[in-house]
Amino acid sequence: MAQCFALMGWSLPVIESMQKLNKPFVVVSFPDFESYARDNNIPFVSYQFDEWSDTSNAIDLAEKLKPFNADVAVPLFEETVEWAGALNSIYRNDPRVLNRAFLFRNKTMMKRKALIGGLRVGLFEEVHSKEQVKSFMKRLNEANLQLEGEDDSWVHIKPFASAGTVGHRLLRSMSDIDEKVQDSDFPCLAESHLSGREFSCEAFVHGGKIKFLNITEYVKLGYSNFIPEGHYLNSKRELIHKHMQKLVDIFGIEYGMIHPEWFLTENDELSFGEVACRIPGGHILELSGKAWGYDALAAFVLCHDPNLSEDELKSILPDDSQKPENHYGNVMIYPHKKQFSKLEIPEELTEEPYFVDHTLVPPLSTQKISDDREGFGNHFGTINFKGEDPDRMTELLKHYENVDFYV
Amino acid sequence: MTESLTERAFDHFEEAINALREATSLTKADKANKLVSQIDQIAHSEEGIQYLYKKSPVLVKLGVFDNTAWAEPEKLVPQLVNGTLKAGTPHSSFEILSELRMLSIALGDSKHKAMSKKDAATFLEEVLVHNLEFVFESLNEETRSAMSALEQKKVFGLFKYLLSKSDLQGIKDKLAEEITLICEQRPIVTSKAREIIKLVKEKIELDTSKETDAKLAFYIDAIYHPSEAVRKHGTQEKYNSYLQSANDQELAIESDSLGKAMRSSGLVSSFHAILLEHLSEQNLDEHLPKALGLNDTGKAEFVKHKKEIKKLIHYIVHPDNAQCVYGLSRMLEKGLFSRQAVRAGLDNIKRIRLHSEVEKNIIKSIAHPGENISALQYLIGALIRVLGQPLGVGQGNNPTCQSARGISMWSQHAPAKLINMVITAATLNNLSFRFEGKEIEADKLGHGLVKQMDFSLDAVSVVLVPLLDKIYNEMMKLAAGREDDPHKWVNPAMYGQWIQIGFASVYNYLLNAIQDYEGFIKILYASCHPDYNGHHRLVYPNPVGIFITSSRGDMIGFHAVSLLRVRKDNEGVMRAYFLNPNNEGRQDWGQDIKPAVMGNGEKPGESSLPFNQFASRIYAFHYNTLQATDHLNEVPKEIVKEVKKLAQDSWGRSYTWNEIPRQW
Repeated sequence: MAQCFALMGWSLPVIESMQKLNKPFVVVSFPDFESYARDNNIPFVSYQFDEWSDTSNAIDLAEKLKPFNADVAVPLFEETVEWAGALNSIYRNDPRVLNRAFLFRNKTMMKRKALIGGLRVGLFEEVHSKEQVKSFMKRLNEANLQLEGEDDSWVHIKPFASAGTVGHRLLRSMSDIDEKVQDSDFPCLAESHLSGREFSCEAFVHGGKIKFLNITEYVKLGYSNFIPEGHYLNSKRELIHKHMQKLVDIFGIEYGMIHPEWFLTENDELSFGEVACRIPGGHILELSGKAWGYDALAAFVLCHDPNLSEDELKSILPDDSQKPENHYGNVMIYPHKKQFSKLEIPEELTEEPYFVDHTLVPPLSTQKISDDREGFGNHFGTINFKGEDPDRMTELLKHYENVDFYV
Repeated sequence: MTESLTERAFDHFEEAINALREATSLTKADKANKLVSQIDQIAHSEEGIQYLYKKSPVLVKLGVFDNTAWAEPEKLVPQLVNGTLKAGTPHSSFEILSELRMLSIALGDSKHKAMSKKDAATFLEEVLVHNLEFVFESLNEETRSAMSALEQKKVFGLFKYLLSKSDLQGIKDKLAEEITLICEQRPIVTSKAREIIKLVKEKIELDTSKETDAKLAFYIDAIYHPSEAVRKHGTQEKYNSYLQSANDQELAIESDSLGKAMRSSGLVSSFHAILLEHLSEQNLDEHLPKALGLNDTGKAEFVKHKKEIKKLIHYIVHPDNAQCVYGLSRMLEKGLFSRQAVRAGLDNIKRIRLHSEVEKNIIKSIAHPGENISALQYLIGALIRVLGQPLGVGQGNNPTCQSARGISMWSQHAPAKLINMVITAATLNNLSFRFEGKEIEADKLGHGLVKQMDFSLDAVSVVLVPLLDKIYNEMMKLAAGREDDPHKWVNPAMYGQWIQIGFASVYNYLLNAIQDYEGFIKILYASCHPDYNGHHRLVYPNPVGIFITSSRGDMIGFHAVSLLRVRKDNEGVMRAYFLNPNNEGRQDWGQDIKPAVMGNGEKPGESSLPFNQFASRIYAFHYNTLQATDHLNEVPKEIVKEVKKLAQDSWGRSYTWNEIPRQW
């Protein structure tokens, strides 16, 4: 049993879960949160994560955490993955734990590892300039036996170390490269477009084995997903589980939760997209917790503890052989108009039996959206649905993605 | 809402309550917000509001209001409730919950340490007084544009509930004022007034020695017992048998009482229909003019066209369709039966066959359709009302001020054309207009401005507005992109040859700015203001576009009214008298500009403002290009400056201003 969890990053829901579990923890985050933590009796160590120097490093942080007896570090956000890896390397006396953390933070390295291990990945390369992206696309076109006048092969570029969709650009043609790519994007990963149905998995791993596998069906990347998966993906659960365990084995993951994205073709071929080991976006753990009836955030934290007993593990994770009755889904809402002044809930939503609640916030006054969005930009909240039929759920999520809530 | 939907919504809400219960202070606000986000789904049904009322004490205990503006009920201000209700979700949802908490305290269902039962009751009384537009579901233009249909439903539901739980004693004065403001305008649709009067009759003990109570009693009497005999005999059957045996003198008294009650209130009692039917069928013609409350012109007209009028009475007058009697009486006084085309039209319409869709809509528009009366009879009844009371036409809760303005104008200046239009629309559910040589047929067009029509309108509007709205919208599309306001071309095509061809607008499309406002105001005064236009009176209604501004003077949107007359009131103030199709008697346009509907020489149905105040809100009007420049230099600079200041300090803040002079 861990003496104390060091939660790397500030998250009120995680803190609440830990309080309810009555497990010892300390939050490590930026100084901004210190006064709130003090006012609310939250054990807290302030640390400047974005500084790395002789005086700001994992050894120093480990010292600061000593009074709390911290012995397990848990990365809550993408940016704290290396910090947690470094601390756990110290706690477990195993330098490779840190190297594994680097694996999650460099998308090219991650792909290489997957490829070596025998997973199917797209063609990829590290690129340093627009010219290199063009050459990459050209070689891809050649490999795809492009004829004169045919469309170019699609290429994605992604920063090595950003979460989810941040900085991700889809390039459909040579001219896209000129128009959409900025010099500041480099260096980055370029990869061929993977076809197939995209979904994510959340595997809770302990002792190198998957103890619970959540499959999240993506209706539209960056917009909507639901849990548990619909009929089709569910029929492939065994196949997916096999690939997931393979990924865990290849990466040598022993404790924690991984959140990879996969593409499944009609021929039952799975391609590996990328993998993260922090709390996934899109409120996935919230949906998973509701659908399967467990405290997913607590489970996320506890799985990082090598000393967690089998019984404790069982009590905190759901049994994935019993499929839940209801699917829980959400769609993130982005304003469609450039300028809008109010939040308006369409009447059809209130007549929808699957509708549960939403977190949409009204705009401040007349608000304008700037053109330079990061990832998909900031969404204005999510709408939550709950219902028995995954097909109806898919329909609803698709529909509401395009409804104007901000007018 | 279906049964299962309601149950599911309640289940979801219970889950949200549990989540709130289990949350620590760290995530309480998030959980509370999610819970409140479900109120949109629950609050718009009666069952939902009741449910929320029952849940309010536990929600308060669980901290739904913690760290919000509603945390301490004793610090809330009833005058601010209206603004919050209009502010949209989630503010309106919190506000609804807050009122339900207050009601729970007022009724003793829950207790609060800083708020007594009486404090809460007083607070709610104030809330009712300041939200009559919600109580009576008659929204002003500002509110209509601020709130979605769903938001309106939520808030209406709240007030219906509050009303059912309060004794209304504290808001008697306001109710009396409200009824008077409505009735003095002589609206064609009287359901709103009748609802309030019914409410007062059922819920308030009146002491007629007090002025307010006497006023309320006057309106109750007009509908429920317009004569002593009615009071005595009570039911329609008993009153009918009384009339059968009544002598000439008794009939004269009945005719006199009912005629007077109708003319002084604008409301027709169902007993009035029984009296008219009796007099007409028994050929007791000498009493009919009295029973219709006619003046000398009306009496002469009645004598001249007695046969047709009695036929019409026989055809349409019925206790369930009684309000048309007032329209008939006004129509007689306007001498409309002496127009051959009107007589022919009224004769024709009796023989038409209604289009099935139209028939359905008409029946839908009647709150309690009578069994013995057809949709066509309702339609003709409404037509008589529109013809008799052109200024009583209203747009209801629809954004169709344009169409309402048209119906009113045709009723005044082309009654036979209006009748023909109704006949075409009622039989074919279609209308066709010409726009710059091109024929526009409503049937072939998509949506107009209205997506979902609110049918609480008179039957003529029910038949015409959906079609007119489509045609108007199509004309606007055709005239769009011409670098000037499309109304310049649409208004004359839509309303007819009464509209002047000249068109002045404050807005320059190319500059995207208000241009030469001073020139604009000069043209306005030189064409419409008798002191500066060579003492001319307006002849035909002038379709005017106005900026609607909030009580703080902020720009809200655009609205269509008709300028009808400009003349001095009894105080010597030059006033603009205009038709505002939203029949709104409680407007506040900011800068102390408050259109009045009575007390300043307004004819029933007119709104009025001092001319300069009205001028400061106009953005477009029509004028005679050949004559207008004659008097331009007679308009004093001070007046122009004064109007300009009002404009610049209100809606003008939303625009760029450009002073480059313009060729008018």
